[in-house]
Amino acid sequence: MSRKQVSLVNIFISSFIAFMALFILGPLIWLAVHAFATSWTYPNLLPDGFTFTWWKTIAGDQELVKSVKNSLLISPIVVLISAVVCLPAAYAFSRYQFFGRKSFLIGMFAANAFPKIGLYASIATLYYTLNLMGTIVGVIIIQLLGTIIFMTWIPAAAFGSVPRNLEDAARDAGASKLRTFWDITFRLALPGILVAMVMSFLASFDEAQGTYLVGVPTIYTMPTKMYALVLNYPVQIAAVFSLLLAIPSVLLISIARKHIIGGQLADGFQIK
Amino acid sequence: MSNSTGSGGLELQGLKKILGGRVIIDDLNLTVNKGEMVSLLGPSGCGKTTTLRMIAGFLIPDAGRVVLAGNDVTNTGPEKRPSAMVFQNYALWPHMSVYKNVAYPLKLRKMNKSEITKRVHNVLELVNLMHHKDSRPSQISGGEQQRVALARALVQEPDVLLLDEPLSNLDAKLRVKVREDIRDLQRRLGITTVIVTHDQDEALSISDRIAVMNGGRIEQFSSPQELYDRPATEYVANFIGSLNHLTGDYSNGRVTVGTKTIGIRPEDVHFTSTNESNGFEATVDHVVPRGHFSEVYLKREDAELRAFMSTNIPAVGEKGYAVIKKALIYENGKLLKVE
Amino acid sequence: MDKTNSINNQESFAVNKTAKLSWFGFFMALPPVLVIICFVGAPILIAAGLSLGFTGGPNRIIALIGQEISTKTHWWGTLDGYKSVINDPRFGGDLRVTLGVTVVATTIVIFMALGMAIYRRVIGGRLATILVSLSLIPLFVPVVISAFAIRTFYDGTGFVKSLLTHFGIDFPTLTMTNSAIAIGTIWTSLPFAILMISSGLQAIPDALIESAQDAGASFIRIIYTIMVPLAFVPIVIATTFTAIGIMGSFTIPYFLGPNQPAMLGVEITNFFNSYNRPQQSVVMAFVIFGAASLIAIFYVWANLRSAKQSGRI
Ligand SMILES: Nc1ncnc2c1ncn2[C@@H]1O[C@H](COP(=O)(O)OP(=O)(O)O)[C@@H](O)[C@H]1O
Ligand SMILES: [Mg+2]
Repeated sequence: MSRKQVSLVNIFISSFIAFMALFILGPLIWLAVHAFATSWTYPNLLPDGFTFTWWKTIAGDQELVKSVKNSLLISPIVVLISAVVCLPAAYAFSRYQFFGRKSFLIGMFAANAFPKIGLYASIATLYYTLNLMGTIVGVIIIQLLGTIIFMTWIPAAAFGSVPRNLEDAARDAGASKLRTFWDITFRLALPGILVAMVMSFLASFDEAQGTYLVGVPTIYTMPTKMYALVLNYPVQIAAVFSLLLAIPSVLLISIARKHIIGGQLADGFQIK
Repeated sequence: MSNSTGSGGLELQGLKKILGGRVIIDDLNLTVNKGEMVSLLGPSGCGKTTTLRMIAGFLIPDAGRVVLAGNDVTNTGPEKRPSAMVFQNYALWPHMSVYKNVAYPLKLRKMNKSEITKRVHNVLELVNLMHHKDSRPSQISGGEQQRVALARALVQEPDVLLLDEPLSNLDAKLRVKVREDIRDLQRRLGITTVIVTHDQDEALSISDRIAVMNGGRIEQFSSPQELYDRPATEYVANFIGSLNHLTGDYSNGRVTVGTKTIGIRPEDVHFTSTNESNGFEATVDHVVPRGHFSEVYLKREDAELRAFMSTNIPAVGEKGYAVIKKALIYENGKLLKVE
Repeated sequence: MDKTNSINNQESFAVNKTAKLSWFGFFMALPPVLVIICFVGAPILIAAGLSLGFTGGPNRIIALIGQEISTKTHWWGTLDGYKSVINDPRFGGDLRVTLGVTVVATTIVIFMALGMAIYRRVIGGRLATILVSLSLIPLFVPVVISAFAIRTFYDGTGFVKSLLTHFGIDFPTLTMTNSAIAIGTIWTSLPFAILMISSGLQAIPDALIESAQDAGASFIRIIYTIMVPLAFVPIVIATTFTAIGIMGSFTIPYFLGPNQPAMLGVEITNFFNSYNRPQQSVVMAFVIFGAASLIAIFYVWANLRSAKQSGRI
């Protein structure tokens, strides 16, 4: 390419980046500013004034605080249970050949492709039968469903990509099978497992519709509360709540970002 | 069968292994004396790695026994065997530093810290890697990785050291140097060693004895010299060194009509301008310089012979006499005699 | 070349070695499968029963409460539930919006992702990193927030309209239109598509691209003869997951779309919650599931094909 073409491309790319920044970040920033706005007059680009009252309103609202607590309690539990249920399976998928292996993998995918809202009638029926309606256990199970695919597929790919001869070398050095698993296999698959945990946490933390169905009115989480907020409160309250809701995600990005971009997530989505 | 060999080295008795429905190793017997260095030599796919993995304990033989230092370990797991292996692509753990890689086997043996440090430092000095002890495997070169793998095996002070094509990932120059280093270390430590290779030069230059493998069996097991001078089968003769092939009978330096296979090493073919000792007429067809010697192609109406010559290289087209100094005569693939 | 081949062989044999049929592995893999069978599989079956007019057993109560429930007339049920949905004049519009938004948004997402991923693979550098990092942000934003943020950004008093008013442009209010749904779904779907496609393209060895350049292939030609075919599976995965995700989405169209016609994900909820017509709601879910399955076949096919090519089965 000639120098002139290169600079044309650069101009194009730069303006595209500017567009993307506006497209992606614009809505988030616009919302964030609302969280500190007194009021807003159209078509001004800045609010009439800044304030912290909305934050205080939320901090004083017992129901909202309760929903924050619920979310922060339930999601970690869901991630842990999901890990206990799925990680052994992930290992099995990557290391053993067994009857039904492919069908299991594809079945998980199919279950994921069914629109969950279409199941709520039957899930409600099932929950009434099992006495799970309006219980924490019920909410945990509903949220667990959305994490299974992450917690199985991504670690399975991670376990699968640990070279066998590294394990052999550990056995040769004198490590038992279990020791080899902990020191080598698990340790090398850790980035993938971490990504799976982050994705599962976000999936659970975000889940609103199922939680709404089985939890309300006894158990509110942040996202289910958010639906109510958006419809019944001033924009600013919802904005404050959004920022709160985004904090865990932002924290988790910083932990797992490198591995997610590094391909751990993408690897998980190929059937092997 | 007795449980001990007395030799204190390694003994394989009637090993057999079936993989994927195929017999990969069949009735393999091998005795390696204490302190000896033995090569398993053979083309890719002949079962060398499989044999080595049975010695190390990664594969359990379907029949036969593995005896290490006098103990039957046939059904013992790899972690309990007194052997240590250097893997073909080194298998260094990427999440541990060089030091930690080498210290890991000792940590598993519940040794105390200061003892571990001492032994790891000793062995790292032995392979000349002290300056890299805190590097990660990905930060050092292939040759250095190879030495780490070696150090990790040596630090275990194994009764038997196993090396699977340890040099195949190194460039040609380095390969020669490292193989000398390995041989040197092996001699100094007096450690019983089995090294797998498909490179005859490598095997010939560093082994006390060589086991040539073919299709899951050992064709011949003898010293490098013996292997070269008296290859027991046609297969071995072809695999080791170069060989001219002729069909016929051989007597007194002359090839006559017959059905046997006659193998003649190119260095045993001489070319002279005058016929002094029972040679036959030949013409120089072409000459390929090979550095410190030349490959001379000699032609007669019905046959071609290659000769390695280092002095008095004849010119192309020159007529003279080819003299055969030594020939290996095979019938049905087996060595009949050497003349 | 020879050497790498033999190493690869050894590794694939090592895989086979432990890959014997194993009951141990089977039982280890069972727990998540059981959870799915109990809490997704069984409800799907119950729902299928309801959609076909099986109003007894677990569907008894819902059939009592719900309105306009058709009951089975044959041993296998009845298609009346499906007929009533198809004959409902709203359904046609809903289906068209659903498919339209899915096709448009998926196409845009995949092309944007391809473009950025190719740029990152071929040219790379700081700008590419910024671009990709930027596009990944939505992955970490809960979807309720995304929907709400986009809604305020494009609505009647939102930033876009406010800004353009200053330039004397009367920009339309996008919120509550299908365009807003498309914008929202593109926003939320972009990260996954980029991750998939970019990791596929990054895995292509430099040598393959350079040798094509060496042979005189133009940039465009390299893209469609080397890069796209080699990253085919990740591209298919990105496409299918994006399309399936958009088709069944609820939150984005609920916050951003018009009331009528709405995407099926919203209508399923409306029919179930607001209109108390659970059978129709379930029927619509199966319509989406049917369409998703067609797409999913493509996904499974691509995966199996690549597994076969690399000799994994
Ligand atoms: N797990 C396995 N399943 C089936 N065949 C195998 C397996 N491992 C090795 N083989 C076969 O056994 C033969 C010997 O392999 P190997 O011992 O690795 O050879 P070498 O190390 O001499 O190159 C090869 O033909 C290979 O195809
Ligand atoms: Mg081998």
